[in-house]
Amino acid sequence: MNALRRLVDELDPLLHERGRLAIVSVLAAVDRIPFTELRDNLGMTDGNLSVHLQKLEEKGYVSLDKQFVARRPLTSCGLTKGGRQAFAKYLEHLQAIVEQGRGRQRA
Amino acid sequence: MNARQAAMNLEVIRTLMERTTQYQLLTARAGLAAGSLAGVGALSFLWLDRNNPWQFGIVWGLVFAGSLLAAAIGTVLRGRERGELVWSRQARAVVTALLPSLFAALVLSGYFFARDLHLWLPGVWMLCYGQGALATAAYAPKPIRSLGTAVLLGGALTLYLGPDWAVPAMGIVFGLGHIGLGGVLFAAERRSMVPRLHQSVA
Repeated sequence: MNALRRLVDELDPLLHERGRLAIVSVLAAVDRIPFTELRDNLGMTDGNLSVHLQKLEEKGYVSLDKQFVARRPLTSCGLTKGGRQAFAKYLEHLQAIVEQGRGRQRA
Repeated sequence: MNARQAAMNLEVIRTLMERTTQYQLLTARAGLAAGSLAGVGALSFLWLDRNNPWQFGIVWGLVFAGSLLAAAIGTVLRGRERGELVWSRQARAVVTALLPSLFAALVLSGYFFARDLHLWLPGVWMLCYGQGALATAAYAPKPIRSLGTAVLLGGALTLYLGPDWAVPAMGIVFGLGHIGLGGVLFAAERRSMVPRLHQSVA
């Protein structure tokens, strides 16, 4: 198996799905963000976002906090420490793939 | 996935993270409009009397209001164009960062006008503007930081040069400064990859 293929295979499949990757990218830039703001930023539907968040929460990448603010339910989302580490590792893998491609072009 | 796709993924991730933390609805058109208004304001004193506090105050008040209006219209249009919230977390952060400088500028304007010292105000306004621009540095596009630093230095120089340079300094710093900012933003807008994230990830 060549090095590029191995790097691609090592990409976290949970993060590699584009919807979840977009969610994690936004969450990585903030401490916590309300569910509705995340939904509006990404233009996702409530259902679509909920499903992705549930999968990320099951894996321990995301924490969801449900509170009542002024008698209205407010769900906020944030990356856990494990989620940040997984995202950092994912970025490192992408960077390595890019570097590998550059190396091939030079060769 | 190949290297090109990986590079594109990294670019989209970077864009998403920047959009989450940075206020990016500031438009080149708004910068150019503000610069042109300041230039017209400065040129108007070829006919108006700069020593008259009413004329001085009305001209620069109109320039300020017009620039604010241009920025608001530009922001709303850009928000619609990109399908993004106008009163977003980033917009709130920028406005909150600007408020102390705006308050200081208003108080100092009242103080200087009341004592017929209005020709010292351009330097004061520049110092307040520069401080405000730098206060937004964490959330604003990079050119704003450079503009903030330049205006801050311009304010110090304007105060040093004194009232004789009040009107030309306004034209140079706010007029040419904003036109320069508009040019830089325009170049950045043409360069930037603007993925329709709300469509692509949904």
